[in-house]
Amino acid sequence: MKFAIALFSAAHAPSSRRALLFAQAALAGGHEIVRLFFYQDGVYNASDAVVTPQDERDLPKQWRAFITEQQLDGVVCIAAALRRGVLNDEEAKRYQREAVAVSAPWELSGLGQLHDAVQDADRLICFGGA
Amino acid sequence: MPTLHVLSHSPFGDERLTSCLRLLGAADALLLCGDATYALQAGTAPFEALNTRRVKLFVLAEDAEARAVQVPDWAEAVDYPAFVDLSIHHDKVNTWL
Amino acid sequence: MAKSLLIISRQSPWSGPGAREALDIVLAGGAFDLPIGLLFLDDGVLQLAAGQNAKALQQKDLSANLQALPMFGVEELFYCADSASQRGLANLSLDEAQPLAAEHITALIDRYDQVITL
Repeated sequence: MKFAIALFSAAHAPSSRRALLFAQAALAGGHEIVRLFFYQDGVYNASDAVVTPQDERDLPKQWRAFITEQQLDGVVCIAAALRRGVLNDEEAKRYQREAVAVSAPWELSGLGQLHDAVQDADRLICFGGA
Repeated sequence: MPTLHVLSHSPFGDERLTSCLRLLGAADALLLCGDATYALQAGTAPFEALNTRRVKLFVLAEDAEARAVQVPDWAEAVDYPAFVDLSIHHDKVNTWL
Repeated sequence: MAKSLLIISRQSPWSGPGAREALDIVLAGGAFDLPIGLLFLDDGVLQLAAGQNAKALQQKDLSANLQALPMFGVEELFYCADSASQRGLANLSLDEAQPLAAEHITALIDRYDQVITL
């Protein structure tokens, strides 16, 4: 079964941890993840600028490791990311900002990538809110 | 074409559960996770609403355990692999973000 | 055949970027000629209130974008009749949106391949 997973909440929200555990369970069950799409506050999961207290679960770090190890497609909505100050090198240059918060394996792209994933997948699973 | 509805907000002071129950089809199921598991606090209005409707009900086990919420015998506690299976056995998953 | 997607928009237009970001998903789907529907539910129906004035809050006018939906190829527009009456909404700004009772919303969700409620 092919899953598209979309995350709408920040790294510190319980739903972000839930999304990661679901994604890990899906792969462990022999399923495929066609894309992870990060929208609204979900873009914060891709931010290198998040510093998690040492005794807490570091979601941005865990997402990065998961996406890298499993060679997944981790796409961050560019419009949502710009609005929230989560820029990659290219966008920081374009808007003359100092802060670069997103790098590979993350990719900034448009909402078309969400629709594309929905078309490609058998199921769209969204996580967000509380 | 059954839908798995997923709720994660506390039912107290939030209208997602009420709206969801209004739209829930006969073949649909409901998965409570996060603070939505508080809907299973015995004796509360959300608990009675779920019990009366006899909704096909699932609860993310870790969330119920963390909150000391007792899972009644008419609901089924699931782990992540079972959550994945539920999403496959329903035609779509509607998460109330 | 392309998979259909129903967006259920539940946020008021003045509660932050939520309503606009829901609409952006719809507009992007329309731009790709995908079968996409939009249902306004709960506080989301407040996006349809007539006579709103975005200028009072120095904001962009969401209503204008909603009016343009049919031009962007999004013609499946619905709102929850119960949500509208609970909120005392009589005059709606979007003529194309059809009111739906709860049981028809269940049927609507059934008809679409995937759904996002935000």
